[in-house]
Amino acid sequence: MIDVAQLKAHAKGLLEKGTVRTVFGYRKSTAGLLAEPAGITEAAQADDLIFDPSCVQNLALYLVNDKKHQAEKRSDDKRPVAVVAKGCDSRAITVLLQENHFPRESVHVIGVSCEGTGVVDASKLARKLGNKKALAVAFDGADAFAVTTNEGTQSIAAAEVMAERCLECRSAHPTLSDVVFGEAKAERGLHTPFQAVKAKIKESEGDRWAYWSRQFDRCLRCYACRSVCPMCYCDECVVDSINFVIAPDTTAEEKAERIKWIERSPAKSESAMYHMVRAIHLAGRCIDCAECERVCPVNIPLRLLNTRLEMEAFETFQYSPGSDPELPTLTSSFRDTDPNSFIR
Amino acid sequence: MAKVEQTAKDETGFEPKIVAFLCKWCSSAGSDLAGVSRLQYPSNAVPITIMCSGSMSPMFVLSAFNKGADGVLVSGCHPGDCHYLKGNFYARRKIYLVQKLLQFIGLENDRFRMSWVSAAEGAKFAQVMHDFVADIKKIGPQTRLKAKRP
Amino acid sequence: MTKTVAMEKMLKKADLAAWMAKLGQTRLFAPALEDEDVWNYMPVADAKAVGLDHPNTIRPPKGFVFPQREVLYKFSQIPSEAPILTETLPDPEPTVVFGVRPCDSRGLVRQDIVFTKEYEDPYYHGRRAKVIYVGQACNTPPSANCFCSSVGGSPCAEDGLDVLMTELDGVYHVKAVTARGAELLAKGGDLFKDASATDKAHVEKTHAAAKAHPQRPIKDLGKVAGALKKNFDSPAWDEMAKACIGCGICTFLCPTCHCFDINDEVTCSSPCSGERVRTWDTCQFPDFTMHTSGHNPRHDLGSRLRQRVCHKFLYFVENHDTQQCTGCGRCVSLCPVGIDIVSVVERLGQP
Repeated sequence: MIDVAQLKAHAKGLLEKGTVRTVFGYRKSTAGLLAEPAGITEAAQADDLIFDPSCVQNLALYLVNDKKHQAEKRSDDKRPVAVVAKGCDSRAITVLLQENHFPRESVHVIGVSCEGTGVVDASKLARKLGNKKALAVAFDGADAFAVTTNEGTQSIAAAEVMAERCLECRSAHPTLSDVVFGEAKAERGLHTPFQAVKAKIKESEGDRWAYWSRQFDRCLRCYACRSVCPMCYCDECVVDSINFVIAPDTTAEEKAERIKWIERSPAKSESAMYHMVRAIHLAGRCIDCAECERVCPVNIPLRLLNTRLEMEAFETFQYSPGSDPELPTLTSSFRDTDPNSFIR
Repeated sequence: MAKVEQTAKDETGFEPKIVAFLCKWCSSAGSDLAGVSRLQYPSNAVPITIMCSGSMSPMFVLSAFNKGADGVLVSGCHPGDCHYLKGNFYARRKIYLVQKLLQFIGLENDRFRMSWVSAAEGAKFAQVMHDFVADIKKIGPQTRLKAKRP
Repeated sequence: MTKTVAMEKMLKKADLAAWMAKLGQTRLFAPALEDEDVWNYMPVADAKAVGLDHPNTIRPPKGFVFPQREVLYKFSQIPSEAPILTETLPDPEPTVVFGVRPCDSRGLVRQDIVFTKEYEDPYYHGRRAKVIYVGQACNTPPSANCFCSSVGGSPCAEDGLDVLMTELDGVYHVKAVTARGAELLAKGGDLFKDASATDKAHVEKTHAAAKAHPQRPIKDLGKVAGALKKNFDSPAWDEMAKACIGCGICTFLCPTCHCFDINDEVTCSSPCSGERVRTWDTCQFPDFTMHTSGHNPRHDLGSRLRQRVCHKFLYFVENHDTQQCTGCGRCVSLCPVGIDIVSVVERLGQP
């Protein structure tokens, strides 16, 4: 079982020695059960760090945001940042390295094993508990969570309340790290991957459209899915045409001529376009942290949409995102044996 | 003239709007050849010349459907013939993924198509257009991704 | 708005559907599951299925009067002539919304202030005049992060509502707050019985019990504005916003947030045609304050968090003498990274 005291001590050591600028980890939140991401800069704050099944967020996002922030501040502090990374998060960091988003030496990866159990799905847990309110959740052996509620602590089989993605996880142990805490358990694979996608494909085309059209129709366009995604790091995004990078030499004509690809209105057609652009942009890059689906306030099944192309990457092109930083990316490579029969 | 127009329309009067993204070096030249060879083929496509099928952005496809295209065609050089040596190989992978995504959300299969047409294949280009228009006429206008504009 | 009347009636729970059936030519909305775990105000298809036992809806009911997309006018042009503008004032069908929580109706009062005080917005008022809000008192807090009592509200507040319903054992206590509400009750005819003195005592007891439920406290609400002003330059803003991902959940789903953006949706550029539309916008997006020059005065997450909190607890108080937060708890519960407005106010809004 992971020893959080060691994790804290390590983070404290890094900050005391000043070898890293910030440590991104998790701490207890005041807002609810799930942990909150914490960027700590002082050794004393390391005591707040936790790691338990409520640590769902993918902290690779903060490496991306930190890079933007440093550039904006014109900071010359070149020390690396440390980040606590689960298996899925480490894959995200690998993809970022693969895309040369930042050099390897600029990040110190504190790998953590989410062991046999993965992280918790708060809404599954709430349904399971009924009227009881979960206050804390901890690892309990190889296949259970210890859930503390207002009525005491109980043990719940992890498979019942585990996040959907964790059930399908094929590499729970960090693939990339400078130091790892917790037992190495690479395989979990309680469910066969891509089950949901395969079931959806079997439906008729009309049913599929009816399903997705209902999902896209209730999109709020709060862009939480984009904001939470470590892979959505573009400076310019097609969905907000006024957010294009404006340099001192950008002329009025250039601004006026920028194409407005998508209207801001939350119309079905526009939201469909937004989600599809994101899905295609994530092809071969999505490491299935499922944060997009978790944060969506109206529960659009974004994981289902985004894993559609991951299934294609895996089954057709034998490509698993985040497995090797040296590999060329999915869409910047090809093989002679790629499918050709769909072309007339 | 009137007779020709009638044959081009089916009984509902539906004329598909097709946006065809043709690579400059092969497919665009192929469509020119179809024209100068005086081959008859439906005039439903708006051709847009791109430098290479590899430069095709999935955004163009989605945007065409959003703006009301009934079908989108991407056409490039045959494998091995790319002017930029391997652009069409990248395109093949990318377009394959786009097609799978469009199918997944439930857009009709026949609305998005890719073809290899070389500069010498005017007849093939005419055939591709014939087939595409006929298939789209069978499924009718595209309403799923089209923006509802007044 | 409308003259205050007080009319207290009793309605059997089983008669709710019958009352809805008598409302005639109006669109009815009530909280229902739009999808798994997604509570929203949905059109009432089957009045018998309306349970009014919902937790807080994901979307507040502000969209009925301030929709996410509002067409302001259409424009079109005959070639070589000047463009023609056609105003498109909304004229919605009369609507009754059931199951509105008191925090959300207090949110409407905040929106009324914004869209009335300095300028009477015809689009907002065109809709507001047609929408009747039937509230439902919260006997138990509908969300884990409720704090209405800490921001001057209460689980049985009547502000902004036309009717307030309170569930007792097997019956609803129904109180008409406005003349529009009284009319709505009148349509129910003899489904309603006058509330007896016992009923009134029962309702008072229920309300008192609801108010006694523990909620997240904010100390010294009156001093929060001053403290925030003093802490405007505090480095704690940046620290607390460190986890912020910059999405629009907290503001889009806030019952009081009312900022919008205006865009032209052009269908054809020559001859021009299209619509000018107003859509929700949020101070949490970087382009909200982006200048044409490329300079962005609120360039980082800390300044945007400060804007959101100060707008609610400082600027709105200065301008309109009341907080622009009604304690519904949505921004706390739905924030992907647990940014908690109560903790922020606790930290920076206390003298």
